[in-house]
Amino acid sequence: MTKEFNPEDVQGNILRGYRLNRVRHLVLEVTNRSLARQFLAATVSGSTDTVPTITRESSVKWSDPPDLCFNIGVTFAGLLALGVPQEGLKTFPTEFRQGMTKRAAKIGDFGDSDPQNWADPFNQPERVHLIASIYSDSCEQLEQVQVQVAKAFTIVGVRDGRNLPEGKVFFGYRDSISQPRFEHVTNPDRANDNEPINPLGTVLLGYPTHYEGVLFRVPDPDELGRNGAFNAFRVLAQDTVAFEKYLSSAATELENHPYVDRLLAPGAERNIFGGMDRHSALREVVAAQMCGRWRNGMPYEKSPNSTGPIPDTPGFLTNFDYDRGSRCPAGSHTRRANPRNGHIVQRMSNYSRRIVRRGMSYGPDFDPDNPDETRNAERGLLGNFLCANLGAQFEAVMCDWINVGLQNPDITGADDPLLGANEPETSWFDLTLAEGGSIRLRGFPRFVKARGGAYTFLPSLSAIAYLSQLET
Amino acid sequence: MANEEGWFDRYVDSLPERGWFKFLSKNVVLPYWAIKNPAPKLPGGPRETQQNSENVQRMMNLVMPLKDSSSIGRAKAALAIAQNVDEIFAGLDNVGTVHFARFLILGDNLCMISVYDGDFSNYIRDFIITIGSVFDDVMTVVEGGDELIPTAHNVERFIDWVHAHDLFQAPDYPTDVFELLDEARGLSKDTPPHDLKTLPRELILLLHANPDLSLGGGYRAYPGYSAAQVRSKFGVGW
Repeated sequence: MTKEFNPEDVQGNILRGYRLNRVRHLVLEVTNRSLARQFLAATVSGSTDTVPTITRESSVKWSDPPDLCFNIGVTFAGLLALGVPQEGLKTFPTEFRQGMTKRAAKIGDFGDSDPQNWADPFNQPERVHLIASIYSDSCEQLEQVQVQVAKAFTIVGVRDGRNLPEGKVFFGYRDSISQPRFEHVTNPDRANDNEPINPLGTVLLGYPTHYEGVLFRVPDPDELGRNGAFNAFRVLAQDTVAFEKYLSSAATELENHPYVDRLLAPGAERNIFGGMDRHSALREVVAAQMCGRWRNGMPYEKSPNSTGPIPDTPGFLTNFDYDRGSRCPAGSHTRRANPRNGHIVQRMSNYSRRIVRRGMSYGPDFDPDNPDETRNAERGLLGNFLCANLGAQFEAVMCDWINVGLQNPDITGADDPLLGANEPETSWFDLTLAEGGSIRLRGFPRFVKARGGAYTFLPSLSAIAYLSQLET
Repeated sequence: MANEEGWFDRYVDSLPERGWFKFLSKNVVLPYWAIKNPAPKLPGGPRETQQNSENVQRMMNLVMPLKDSSSIGRAKAALAIAQNVDEIFAGLDNVGTVHFARFLILGDNLCMISVYDGDFSNYIRDFIITIGSVFDDVMTVVEGGDELIPTAHNVERFIDWVHAHDLFQAPDYPTDVFELLDEARGLSKDTPPHDLKTLPRELILLLHANPDLSLGGGYRAYPGYSAAQVRSKFGVGW
């Protein structure tokens, strides 16, 4: 089953992220199979300057990181359009064959997030064949590569993303702090992390998984399936105006709550972001408990009364765990998505549903002090959620943990306060208090709405070559 | 009087009980309907719900045709369960989302009836991960089971197989049949609106394509709390 791992057969955006600040995702339709195949062949061989070369994983840390990276994902409709034979197609997992739009109810895409309301071209999934992602710091490079891609495919959608300052997302949180680490991938920056190192089968097909003896199916033929990964590409609109407004109304409500001093001790405001008035500090406490981290990234579990300063100790931001007396709420976003070694109902699933998250923001800047300035602008996250098995990881997290909250009886029936499919009439979230107990907040609207997306397969280099050589 | 039934009305009303009419309906009209506007085989198990409710419990009615339905084959099926009783108890405990499971031999089938919390695929996957060996033994006695052994190496296919053998759950409210069939036939919902008079025909066609089914998604006598909520309430660990 397990062959020797050859990192250079794996696309470079799977096991680690690029440190480039811009991305352009091109949504492609195969309208000329022959041109598409020629393009794919050239992306692997790197034989021409007129076609970008696929960026590969490397067996060594890049001493001189590339300034341009290029990767592709293929949808099920794309595999069909490229001519993969039926006997191979049917060996792909059901959720991938059905595609993201058909799995909408399971992953919470209903109401405003219903695929029928998605933006072009994601509301026509039969036309979404490939998503090619160009990473660079330079807009000119993005343009150049787009022109090259357009010669082989019909571009049916373009989505630009960028890193926001300080690694933050529009809700103001520092993001992407805790990512799964993998066997065979050395990252000296994370040498002090305590989280278990994940088997390659967590994200790549053809390797042992977290579950002893359990193997996920490698699609046929082996050269197509092995070393591939699955990806949930998501366009997630973030309603920053509603979020900041909610924090204010929650803080106002809390100021008069009889237990508020156990939520934030009198005088503790001075420890919150260099000192704040009580209302502003309570806003930040609500934001921190909703996420599981203060907006500067400080884990709430480690520091429930202060936002820092964050020590320079390696591993400080990621080395912690949850227990029954945790101050980090069981319903917080980060604890739902990664329960670490904390007690959960699904005892065998603590680390087995890990997902690699790679995302950049889209839309205009947001100034929380002047929220009305760009009130109607859409902004959010272009997210890639990578895993070896969409059903066992991405969907499992979305349907039972982010929404519903089955992992802990104290939160069952409530959705993630940040990412969940909340309705103000029914939503709730329990803030934890010092010395036990909780205060229940209600009335959460849906802050994050799906605006598009697709399940893609991130083929290995061998698989891209295979696709380019199909003859039907 | 205008609304007094005449002999013709009385005759029409009596048609469903008349032998020739029953024969015609069963052997001519129904097959004609089934060809002209067939109902599809509908997916098994609970349908996705879009909002949290007080009920997180779901029902599984897994019907697995026995490879050998003789008494000897039945005895083998009974043994496959009996020799794994300890593993089943331990597995149910460890999966954490199961209320109960029972096995029946019914007709020529081995059936597993269970109540679990949350998502179907997660439930089956967690079961394989916890006690895949039990399913491996069960698969040896049912049709189509051999190619899924070991289930731990065929997780995705096994989940699909169970889904295909989980009984279709008819909606609790009969008029929802229209919406279900519209969706399965790839039609817009209730456009044009269905005539309520066609409901019996649609129901018959649905039963024609799905002869074994669960009537409703299960009825409960108290709110459908999760197994962990019940355990937590009684302090027995979750």
